[in-house]
Amino acid sequence: MRLYLIVSASPSLCPGDNPQATHLPRAWAPLARPPPHGSRLTADLFSTNPGALKSPVSEQTTTPEDQRSPEDPLTPPPPAASLTPEPHNPGTPPDLFESVAEGPVVVQGGSPKLSSVPLDLPAGGNGGEGKQQDTSEPPVPPSSILPPMGAPLTPPVVPITPTATPSLTPNITPAAPTPVTPVAVARSSPEQAEGDGGDEFIQITVSDPQKIGDGMSSYMAYKVTTKTNVSYFRKKHWSVMRRFSDFLGLHRKLVEKHLHSGRVIPPAPEKSAIGTTKIKLGSDKNADSGSLDFIERRRAALERYMNRTSTHPTLRADPDFREFVELDAELPRATQTSALSSAGVLRLLNRVGETVNKMTFKMDESDQWFEERTQQIESLDAQLRKLHASMERLVNYRRELALSTAAFAKATAVLSSVEEHSSLSRALHQLSESTERTQTIHHAQADADFYVLSENTKDYIQLISAVKDVFHERVKTFQTWQHAQITLAKKREAKAKAELAGRMDKVQQAQEEVTEWEGKVERSQEEFERISRAIKKEMEQFDVMRVKDFRDMVIKYLEDLMTSQQQIIKVWETFIPEAKAIS
Amino acid sequence: MAPILFQDGMEDVLPSETNGTKSGRSDTVDLNDSTLQVDISDALSEREKVKFTVHTKTTLPDYAKPEFSVVRQHEEFIWLHDRFDENEDYAGYIIPPPPPRPDFDASREKLQKLGEGEGSMTKEEFSKMKQELEAEYLATFKKTVAMHEVFLTRLAQHTVFRNDHNFKVFLEYEQDLSVRTKNKKEKVEGLFKSFNKSTDEILLAATQKDVDDYFEREKTFLLEYHMAIKDATTKADKMTQAHKSVADSYIQLSSGLSQLGTIEGPRLEKFINKVADTFEKARKVEGRVSSDEDLKLSDTLRYYVRDGSAAKDLLYRRLRCLANYEQANKNLDRARAKNKDVHAPVDVADAELAQQNACEKFEHISNKAKEELNDLKARRVTAFKKNLIELAELELKHAKAQAQLLKSCLQSLPEE
Repeated sequence: MRLYLIVSASPSLCPGDNPQATHLPRAWAPLARPPPHGSRLTADLFSTNPGALKSPVSEQTTTPEDQRSPEDPLTPPPPAASLTPEPHNPGTPPDLFESVAEGPVVVQGGSPKLSSVPLDLPAGGNGGEGKQQDTSEPPVPPSSILPPMGAPLTPPVVPITPTATPSLTPNITPAAPTPVTPVAVARSSPEQAEGDGGDEFIQITVSDPQKIGDGMSSYMAYKVTTKTNVSYFRKKHWSVMRRFSDFLGLHRKLVEKHLHSGRVIPPAPEKSAIGTTKIKLGSDKNADSGSLDFIERRRAALERYMNRTSTHPTLRADPDFREFVELDAELPRATQTSALSSAGVLRLLNRVGETVNKMTFKMDESDQWFEERTQQIESLDAQLRKLHASMERLVNYRRELALSTAAFAKATAVLSSVEEHSSLSRALHQLSESTERTQTIHHAQADADFYVLSENTKDYIQLISAVKDVFHERVKTFQTWQHAQITLAKKREAKAKAELAGRMDKVQQAQEEVTEWEGKVERSQEEFERISRAIKKEMEQFDVMRVKDFRDMVIKYLEDLMTSQQQIIKVWETFIPEAKAIS
Repeated sequence: MAPILFQDGMEDVLPSETNGTKSGRSDTVDLNDSTLQVDISDALSEREKVKFTVHTKTTLPDYAKPEFSVVRQHEEFIWLHDRFDENEDYAGYIIPPPPPRPDFDASREKLQKLGEGEGSMTKEEFSKMKQELEAEYLATFKKTVAMHEVFLTRLAQHTVFRNDHNFKVFLEYEQDLSVRTKNKKEKVEGLFKSFNKSTDEILLAATQKDVDDYFEREKTFLLEYHMAIKDATTKADKMTQAHKSVADSYIQLSSGLSQLGTIEGPRLEKFINKVADTFEKARKVEGRVSSDEDLKLSDTLRYYVRDGSAAKDLLYRRLRCLANYEQANKNLDRARAKNKDVHAPVDVADAELAQQNACEKFEHISNKAKEELNDLKARRVTAFKKNLIELAELELKHAKAQAQLLKSCLQSLPEE
């Protein structure tokens, strides 16, 4: 699949405009797919630490591209091909980036700091401007690349054209420094984005669940309405229709792109075979309360998911996310989300492998911070689960209360009609009505119990497991590093042996291997450190967000509870005079 | 368990009853009439049994002492009720319904379940839930004592019942009344009897035409009413149960939150602890709502279910009496027809006598029954009024308390 890279120097270029703004020089043939690396780049740019700049580059090199020889930075097509196995990603040609960037990186003997590279580029001028300003700098053609980085840069980057025909047209001149620039430029914008965080506003609502189609091929579509003042979106307020698998597809893509950078990706609502089948097979008229409940639950969960993802500045700027939110037409079917597809099976196998890995590999934790945090996460997880269980119990009991109150109201109505004493009968009738009203209040409160308290806590439990996943990524990187070190030692040994044996040809080869593995060791170490740093940063944010969310949730719940009580007060206040009126 | 004093619990149930009896009587009995005052001054709960200390104060000459106490068990109360029930002289009266058996099974079950689940909760949670259960047990206990007392007071206030010999024995006799619970045979007998009675009832209801329109109406009304009120009572019970469960689940929520607070650390801890505390307080209020609903609403309904049942019994007796009367009439006619000749006047005389008796009885019952039913109505209306008002006021009070609690919590929170 080929991708679009919308490249334009004009900041006002909107996605949807002619994507083929410029043509890539031959060298930069359409990329097979946009590696998520671009986003990773952004991810790092996100950190205020300029030093982190280097990471994306190195990261790009260390991951799947290990095999690729770092010596030929300018062979875009092969690198592109070897990039992430992911299909379409209207992302950038980060590999352009990568391959180019590799040059400086490698050249500098693996100095991890890209900062040494062109920090002096005009990118620095971006500091005082909005995110979009990046593209306004002519000397920064790479700025066109920047958007692909997913940084909160110009919208044009969103290579999402309705036709979604992927054909990458990066007009990046393969100038060596160029790739660097975008990084630098991008760097400032994310920082800026961070700084501007307070002014930004993005709110997503998911509404109007509709059943489209019939029978087994039917599905639920939801209207996703976005209100935002974030600059790189086309409009301030618009809606699109999306189906459930689209949400899952988005999540999957985000995970693939960002998990390696140590980002915590908000988890998507789970698939539920039973609920979905019920809806598929049920007719509209038959929508019983059970499936209505299910749909409402899912809708609320999707809304929370979207909002959580959008609050994360990096994820928000991700082209996939933007496409999801903005693209007016149907998204290509994310078939890989189906459990039975080949990709699904593959994912399942991967997960099994990972679980085994998690259990068997015990990492030598040298970082105190991580050790503490891991423990804290574990106990938080356990405690939240317990809390969630007691919340569910509360919801159930309150629902029962609402039901039994309703039954009582009916019985009282009957009693009142049988009662012969007229004023007592009236009073009983009033009692029945008051109880009926109380019942409604209880029912509403049970809903609040559920949606505000219980579901949010459940979300947090899932978020915590996303955090655990991120921690595990780090462990994996550590593993890779260790492995590289071991292999390096072996290669060195082999070389020494060859030298002793005087086999010059072998020595040469061994030497090459040693060098290769030295590079790998270094890169994997950098990767490890990078991900550790990213995680730390991410966790800080996560903590802040978590604390805030929790407080908000509790406060909202208490307010709801208070309102219920006030309503109950009113009910009884109206009843008392009636009771007193019994003669 | 130690003896429990519960004087406060009594006032709730007592006055409504006595007020009712007061209004219906032509010879009103002053609440403060000291001629015969009965109450349950003490109660002891021992594993399976409850021992009530019945305390009497009287100025009546029949009694040996002006003030005395005896210890009675539930079975003895039932014995007393049965004596009244069987007494034909009282056929025209509504016999006060017997108190229900003290039933702690539900509480016991819950306690057991709690004990089993002890491992899965924290110490505080466990002790809190245990406290709740103990309070529940105490409440049940208080209620059963109240029921027994009401039964006795109604008897004591009734102009006719109070002079009953069995009643005196019950109050005075210091030894055990040795009322053994019915053994198997007697239980089966009792079952059989009640089965007979109900079939008879149905039969009568189907075949016996009542001469008096008033009673016909009353019967229909009572039947309908009885069903409706029974239904309402069950639903009310379910409702209060559910309410209690909601209140109890707050306990776990509260303790879960406090644990979360310790893990979260200083940032959220104060916040969480305040919230946990609020939940704990809210729980107490909710629990109070539940028990008040139970006391004011469910119990009132329940009592009138039983009273209505007693009224139904009265009507049944009257109907039976009527049937007997009509039967006696027929017998007399037959006797008369058979004995056209003079030399068997005895049969006729017998039949005449029987018929006369039946007639008297029937008249007597009818009159009394009318009085009693009116009385019941008035009592019911007053009791309902009182309890409904109290219920509404209590609900209001609790809702306000909770709203206030939540408000102050919310106000103190954002200060963090």
